[in-house]
Order: sequence, then structure tokens, then C-alpha cells
Amino acid sequence: MTTVSTPTMTRRQMLKRVGAATAGVTVVAAAPMAARAAKQEVRYAMVIDTRRCSGCQACSIACKAEFEVPLGAVRSWVEHVEVGKYPNVERRMLPRLCNQCSEPPCVDVCPTEPKKATYKRKEDGIVVVDESLCIGCAKCLEACPYDARFMNPFKGDPVKTKGNGVADKCDFCLHRISQGVQPSCVNTCQGKARIFGDLNDPTSAVAKLVEEFDTTVLLRDKKTKPSVFYIDADYLEAKKDPKADQYFRLDTHRKEASSKRWS
Amino acid sequence: MLNRRNFLKLGAVTATTTVAGGACLSTQAAKDLPQWGNKDFSPTTGKSRKAIPSACWQCVTRCANMGYVEDGRLVKIESNVNSIRTEGVMCAKGQGAVNHTYDPDRILYPMQRVGERGSDEWKRISWDEALDMIAARMKKNRDAGTPEKVVYHYGRAKASHSKTIGGFFKAYGTGSIGNHTALCEGGKWTAQELTWGGHYDNWDFDNTKFVLNFGSNVLETHTNHIPTAHRLLWAMAEKGVEMVTFDVRLSNTAAKSKEWVPIKSGTDGAVLAAMINVVMSEGLYKGDGEEFLKYTRVTEDVNADVPAKIAAIKAGVKDYTPKWAEKISGVPASKITALARKFATTKPAVLVSYRGLVAHYNGNEGERLAQLLCAVTGQIDKPGTRMKAVGAGWKWPKIPSAKKIKKLDIFDGFPGQVAYPTHHVAETVLPMIKDGRNGRPDMYIMYCWTPAYANGHIGEAIEILKDEKLMPFIVSVDPFYGDSTMYADLILPDTPFTERWTAEDMVDPAQIGEFYIRQPFTKPLGEARDFSDVVFDLAKRLGVDMGKAKSHEDFVRLACENTPGVKDAGGFEYMKKHGVWHDKNATPQQQVYNRPVPESVYKAKGVVLDKASGVYWKPASEADAKKGYVATKGAYKKYVAQQMPHGVFSGFAPDKVNKSGYLELWSPLLKAKGFNPFPTWIPIPEHQKMGPDDLVLTTFKHAAQTHSRTMNCKYLAEVYHNNPAWINPVTAKARGIYDGDRIKVTSEVGEIVTKARVTEAIIPGVVAISHHCGHWAYGRYASGRRAPSTDEERGDRDFKFKWWTENGVHPNWVIPNSPDPINGQQRWMDTVVQVTRV
Ligand code: SF4
Ligand code: SF4
Ligand code: SF4
Repeated sequence: MTTVSTPTMTRRQMLKRVGAATAGVTVVAAAPMAARAAKQEVRYAMVIDTRRCSGCQACSIACKAEFEVPLGAVRSWVEHVEVGKYPNVERRMLPRLCNQCSEPPCVDVCPTEPKKATYKRKEDGIVVVDESLCIGCAKCLEACPYDARFMNPFKGDPVKTKGNGVADKCDFCLHRISQGVQPSCVNTCQGKARIFGDLNDPTSAVAKLVEEFDTTVLLRDKKTKPSVFYIDADYLEAKKDPKADQYFRLDTHRKEASSKRWS
Repeated sequence: MLNRRNFLKLGAVTATTTVAGGACLSTQAAKDLPQWGNKDFSPTTGKSRKAIPSACWQCVTRCANMGYVEDGRLVKIESNVNSIRTEGVMCAKGQGAVNHTYDPDRILYPMQRVGERGSDEWKRISWDEALDMIAARMKKNRDAGTPEKVVYHYGRAKASHSKTIGGFFKAYGTGSIGNHTALCEGGKWTAQELTWGGHYDNWDFDNTKFVLNFGSNVLETHTNHIPTAHRLLWAMAEKGVEMVTFDVRLSNTAAKSKEWVPIKSGTDGAVLAAMINVVMSEGLYKGDGEEFLKYTRVTEDVNADVPAKIAAIKAGVKDYTPKWAEKISGVPASKITALARKFATTKPAVLVSYRGLVAHYNGNEGERLAQLLCAVTGQIDKPGTRMKAVGAGWKWPKIPSAKKIKKLDIFDGFPGQVAYPTHHVAETVLPMIKDGRNGRPDMYIMYCWTPAYANGHIGEAIEILKDEKLMPFIVSVDPFYGDSTMYADLILPDTPFTERWTAEDMVDPAQIGEFYIRQPFTKPLGEARDFSDVVFDLAKRLGVDMGKAKSHEDFVRLACENTPGVKDAGGFEYMKKHGVWHDKNATPQQQVYNRPVPESVYKAKGVVLDKASGVYWKPASEADAKKGYVATKGAYKKYVAQQMPHGVFSGFAPDKVNKSGYLELWSPLLKAKGFNPFPTWIPIPEHQKMGPDDLVLTTFKHAAQTHSRTMNCKYLAEVYHNNPAWINPVTAKARGIYDGDRIKVTSEVGEIVTKARVTEAIIPGVVAISHHCGHWAYGRYASGRRAPSTDEERGDRDFKFKWWTENGVHPNWVIPNSPDPINGQQRWMDTVVQVTRV
């Protein structure tokens, strides 16, 4: 269970500050904020209540459109897993996105100096990419154990990135949440399976859900400390999933079934 | 499939509250981020995007939506959080609609065919030339006294589109108007019209405690998809409502159910009949069932009392024991009994049914059995059950019809083929044109209609479309280079719905009725024009009177100014700003049937009692009165009230056929056509003769695609573009088939080669292939076939990243066009096939 600390800044103040910082040219220009924020007052998180997910893919498509994500790449996606034996067969739905890890391996490996192109925002814990600093080396793609990153060919300076584009990934719709609007995937979700908010605010829905429910994170053993929590996905952490032994089929609905799976 | 520990903790945290505008947000989420939506910003500049309230049209649900425009370009579509139908959520298809506007294979100019039909050789012409060509044919036929040879066939034309386009053709004088409903679920509607009158059943998930589902994949696709699906998900998650789903396949709906009950294709009716048997033999009809039976007709005697009705039902279902149904359906008798008890005793419970029940030879009877189960348990037309649905009742501007309307008799099946084709028989229109005995069109205008792709027996359909002797002139109104459009002689570039006006009216699960409009997000690209506008131009050329409106936008404006409520809220200007309106003081509609009718109404001048049916009606003449209510053509339009032993009531008013005001489950109409008047189990003839190698082919839909109109949307195609055939490992093994193998599927009308998806998620003995795939046109994303003269990428930077190479295979090549003999529903789920490894 996560420790819930009392926020020292009201939500209203926080939104104001983030809002001011992002009102500039690009979202990543909010970088100077990181320097000013002394400690992380807000920890943005998402709880994914798989009971409420029908596997409909609206979140995947909403995200695709919100950011004009190139074909072949995803910031958010939904995996379907069939397990069991007829007639006792299940299909489990697992919406996926960047875990906004508290100990993000992607940040560790980013080689740019003096400032890392990919970094964790101190003010809210969102892991972002400053596309003006990214050199297109793709080291972070390799480092991410969740396959949450891709190279975006439409972004970045072609010279600086040697034509590789820049690393890209989910940022919890920073441009929306900084102006007080729910992330695009949350907004569309018919089941309200995606719940977003500040985990450090004990009155928030996410904090209450994490407090009340037994939640699961992906690849706990990697010690990345994800900020995305799953309700009713215990099987992910089960030592042995008897159903999966019988029959197992994974549909990622992505270009490639990644080798970096959660199990 | 809930984790028990977590299930027990439901409630407190997920408690919801209704906030201003009716959107239902979780309290905590609302506090976290005050705004659910209706606002969007550029992720690169942070600038606010222009929000335009409008409506989706990807599927027939037609949800209110919100489009976001940046620098004149449509960049995003979301829900409109103020809609009481969607409550601020949206499906994948609705999100993917953003791709329509900039589909690089849009048709942007009128095109005239120059090569052979289907050769992809076209020349661009002007709108004037195109409309002159159409008007000349229409004039010629009007002058020759054959306006019926101008055939207008639509796939979807709803609300103000139907009023303007249909209105134009009727004003011109042709009644040769075809639709596609029999390919969808028309059979379900006919069965409802025979039983409770006007069709559409709303499943009241907001108030239900148990859901019994026969063959609906409501969480992935439905004619009122998102408005119902989200309510069902919320009910299951927040209130622990359980659903049990009968399906041949583990759909996502089945997967989210408490239990999936695999069932042999086409046998749902047997299970329903057995459930009625259980209810009757165990006395579970007592109480609510008995009360409702007062309003139900189950015998010839319209004055029968409740005990007589109970006796009649018991006699009607006495052979339908659970053991008997087990043999037919493969569903254990104990399960049937337990579920019957659960449905009868959980109050309220809702019975859901769709194509798994109705797209069969016995579909009409399946739906009538469903109505009977609801009746005997009293789980009908009250909160939490299957209810008579409510839509928005616009006051439309009038377009006067021609004095005389003539019609080709090609829309209702071959002579004697279908008893009550109240939604027509779309699947036999092309075969009847080929047959020719009831005449052929001189001009066949397709609007949002792709007969080659949407019907069965694709090979035959393409041959007919290509044959200039059968079809001298084909016009297709299409925003894209569709699979049938490519065989046309003239293409009119329609606007995708993202560039249209419409006043909309689809069913509201809140039982109140939501008025909403569609307005263009952006100006039409190129020379694309909404066909609802084009008909105003054609009318001018032909001297046809279109009434007050001058254009489709004007028609929508007038509808807003004329309709009480909408008008008072601010009319057209209000609707353009907010998109949606509903009466905040209205109470949800329920129990339409038990309102006592005062004597002043049923004893009014001209009203007579028809003794045989117990119907008070207003016959047009003495002769009609003599002939009687049931036998008089169109008598249902003169219905006033229903006499019942305990009084005179509003009843379930008839809509398309001369039924009584009872929930009519003993149907003199069916009796007259040689069918059993009481709901009956009918085995599917082809399935009785199956050999050991035969399988039943069934079809289904995926959550990210509509039937035939969305594969051009690149984001949707990326998620779902291939449709390998689902087959159970046991069935596959017997044929030496392994996962991913190429297989041949053969029926009496053809064969296809596709791939096998060997999965535990389907019953043995069936092969299931989805729709959506296997396009041969519809643009580069759907098939690789590009629209004429669009070699340029048209700003679509994505195409070079298209990574999938397979576009799947369409099952309709092997499915014959074959209607339910009662209602004309195309039998999508009945085809017997052989499957072999290639
Ligand atoms: S939108 Fe919601 S219900 Fe649909 S797949 Fe995503 S998380 Fe699941
Ligand atoms: S999920 Fe991957 S990309 Fe996201 S923060 Fe963790 S390591 Fe980095
Ligand atoms: S349910 Fe239909 S109308 Fe509603 S958003 Fe989805 S595709 Fe559009």
C-alpha cells in the first residue's frame, strides 16, 4: 500500500502553477518548473478498475487521435487475454499505458547532458520527454520494461535525432490535466474503468481506491514503483495461474506483440 | 468474473452523483478534476481547441458528440458531457470518426464512369452536369408515367435525412424506396410489432437487478450501443448486477458476464420455451405475471380471464421441458431451470435479445418467446425490465407527397416468400431485379448503401450490379470509393457525417427522449455535398415542391423552431450552441399499456368495437367496419383503445400491423398466414439435415468497427483489420486444423479461403467469422484500392506507416440471401458450411 502524505499545496494552487508553466509553446517547456518545485507535492496516478473495462478500445483510439500518434505506435493500448478451457474460458482486459514509474529506468539511461531529455517531473511525478533535448538514441525504449515508449518520426529536429525522431509516450494528457480536464482516455471510457487523480491527496478517488482495494502493479519485481494500479488483476501477480496453463492467447492490438510482457 | 474480495468492497468508493447537465461523474473524480470534458487543448501549443457540439453517425446509435477544431482542421471527437443518453462517454468507433474527414480516399468531385463498370476509370464532371443527368432521367420517367422506375435505396437515412431525401422522392412520385433493415435486425422489430406494436425495446440497466441475455453483444455493438452499454457496465460494477449471456461465442459481452452459456446456433428459442415451461409449471407467474397477463392475449378468445390464459400458456408450452431443450440446445436442463427461476424471481430483471436470437429461420418466434417469458413473469415495460423505448419527437416541416405514388414491388421478397415484411426484405432486392418479374429500375440510386458488401452472396450481387441490361443506370451517393460505388455509373460525393446537418432522435435509455442535432465540424472538402441538400437542387430542376425549407440546414432550423420545448429553449441557436436538449421536468416513460381510456373517447362518434379483436377503432367506411379490424388494410392507423375484461385501456397500440391492443401472443395475423398463432419452437430446416462434417457459420461484430462503413478509418483499421475464423480446438483437430492455418469454408453458394483462429472461446460445431473485413474497395486502408484520381497522399502522413498487410475475408461470399419466412430478416447465423485445411 502507498503512503499517503498530506499535500502542502491546494489543488487549486497546483493547477494554477502547472497551468501557467504549460501555457507556453510546448508542454515540455514546463521543464523549469521542475527546478522550482522543492519536493513532489502531487503524485498523479491512474487506477484501472478492470471490472469496469469491456475491452472496447475507445481509450486506445481516443489517445491516438488526441496526439495524432503515428500508425504502428501507441501511447495507450488494451490487451485481451483468453485463458481457460472451453467452456470455462475467460477473456481478461488489460488497458495499458506508461506507468509513470517512481523509479523510472527510462530516465536512468537517458544520456543527454547536462539535462536529461526524459525526466520525472518533481511537481507531479509525470515522466516526460523534452523533445528539444532528445537526441533520438532510443536507449529509453530499451530500458522501459513495459514497452510503453516509441520513436515518433513526426517530432524533433531531424539533424539532432539523426532522423530517428524523438522518444514519445503517455504523459497523462498533461496538456489537459494542467487545465483541469480529464485525460482523453478517461473521458471516453464507457465503463469509467480509468480513474485519474492525485495519489497524494487522500480525498482523491485514486487514493481512496488504492487504499480500499487490493491493487496490482505490473512487474512489481522490477522495482519501478508504477503509478498505475489495477483493480481485479490479481492473476498478474499469481505465482501460478492455473487457467493460463490450460490455454493462453494474448491479443495486444499493437503492431508487434512485444517481448516485454507483464508475464 | 469478479474478485470476491474486491466485490464486497464495492459501493462506498464508486458511489456516483449527478452533476449539472445530467452527466454522471464519480464524486471524487469530479473533485479531482472538475471538468469531465467538452474542452480540449492542443498538446503541442496548449491552445484551446474550438469545441463544436454535434452527433456521431458511425453506427445507428447516433450519440451526441463534440468535435474539436484547430486551425480549421477537425482534430478530435469526444462525447458531449451534457447528453443524457451517453452521459459523457463514447465508443472506439465514435473516436475513430475523426479519420473520415481526411480519408485520402474520399471522393471530392462528381465522377462519371468512362470505362467498363468496375474498371476504376472515371472522369470528373461538374455538379450541374451530374444533376442534369439525374433530373433528365427522372423527368423522362415522370413523363412516361413510370416514376416508380426511379429507385432510391438507402442503407441508413434517419431523422431529418429520411424526411428530406425520402420526402423528395415521394414528392416526385416514386414509392420505390428500399432500406437495409432486414440485414440488421428488422426481424426483431416485426416480432415486436406483432406483439406490442411500435418497435424498439429499451433495456433498463439503470434500474435492473439481473440481466438475461440471448445473443446480444451489447458491450461491443448495438443499435443503441453506448447509451445502453455504459449503463450496463456501471450497473455490474457499482451495484453488482449479474448478467448471464447465451452465445455461441465468448464475445466481450459474454466475457463480462457472470456466466457465459454456450449454446448451439439457432436454438435460443428452445431454451426460452423451456424457461416459460418452468415458470408455468412452478407457478412463478403468480403475482406480477398474473397481473400482466390481464394485458396479454394468449388465446383466440379476447375476453379470456387470467386463469384461462394461464391454462392456455401451460398447454402451449407443456412439451417444452428443460430436458427437451437440453437435447436441442446443449444447455443443461438444470441450468435452464435455475436461470428461469432466477429471472422470474429477481425483480426487476431484464431480458435482452438480439441477432443471436433473431437472425435465424426461427427468429420471429424466438423474439415472440422472449416477449412471452417477459409477460408471464411480469418483467416488462416497467423500470428495470425490457421497456417500450422513447425517442425525441420532432415536429418536422412538411414536404407534400405527390398525389399519386407508384412503386416497384421488389422490396418485400419474392411472391409468397415472406408473411409480414414490415421492414422490407433488403437481401432479395437485387435477386428480384435480376428475376425481373416485378419490373426493374431505370435508375438505381444508392445512398449510404453498399448492396454488394452488405448482402449475402456477394458474387451474385456484383454480377447484377455489373449488368447494364438489369441495371441501366446506377448512381451512388458516397463520401468514399465504396465496394458497391465502384460499380456505379455516376458518383455524387456525399459529405461524411462530420460535415453535415441533421436533427436527430435516437432512443434514450433514460426513457425521457433527447433532442439533438448534428452540425458540420468543418466546411465540406472539395465539392462534397450532403445529399439532403442536393435533393433541394434536384427538386428545383424538376419543379418538385419541398415545402418551406430551402436546404437541409434550413430544414433542421425549422424543426428546431417548430418543436415545442426545443423552441422555448432557444430553438436553432440553442441547439447549435449546446447540441442537446431534453425536458428536465419529464418523468421517465413506463407502462404505456394500462391507462384507462375514458368513455368519451371510445364511445366517440365514428368509433366502433371490433368484437373479434376487442379493438375500438374508427373504420373509414361501413364496408371496412363489416370487414373487421384485422382484415382491413391499414386498420391499425385507426386504433383507439382495447377492451379487456377489466376495462378499456390504452393497450399496446399497433404500429405497422392490425394487432389488438393486447401484448398479442396469440396472433390472428400469423394464423391467417398459416403459422402457429402461439409462440412456437421451430427447428431450423438446414440444421436438421447436417452431416457429421458440417458446421454452422455464424457472424459477429467487433467493438472497434461498424459493419461496413469504418474500415477506412485508419485508427480503427489498425486495431481491427483481420478476421480469422474462430473455431473450437476439438472441431479444428477433427479436421487437422491448427491455429493460423489457411482454411477453406464452403457453402452452397461459394467458398472462401481464410485463416483459422483456434480458440477455446467458441462452442464446438460452429465457425464464426466477423463482418467488417475483406473489403475490395473503400480506400487504401480498407483494401488498397484507391479512389479515382487521388494519387496524392492528401496530407495523410500516416499511410507510409501502415504496417498491416492482411485485410481479412468477408464471410458474405458464402452466406446465401435467405429471409426468415415470417418477417424477412436475413438469416446471418444459419449457413451450413464445410471447413477444410488448405
Ligand atoms: S475505454 Fe474503458 S472500457 Fe474501453 S478498453 Fe479502455 S479502459 Fe476498457
Ligand atoms: S513505464 Fe516505461 S516509459 Fe513509463 S516511466 Fe516506466 S520505464 Fe519509463
Ligand atoms: S455508439 Fe455508435 S453513435 Fe455512439 S459513439 Fe459509438 S459509433 Fe458513435
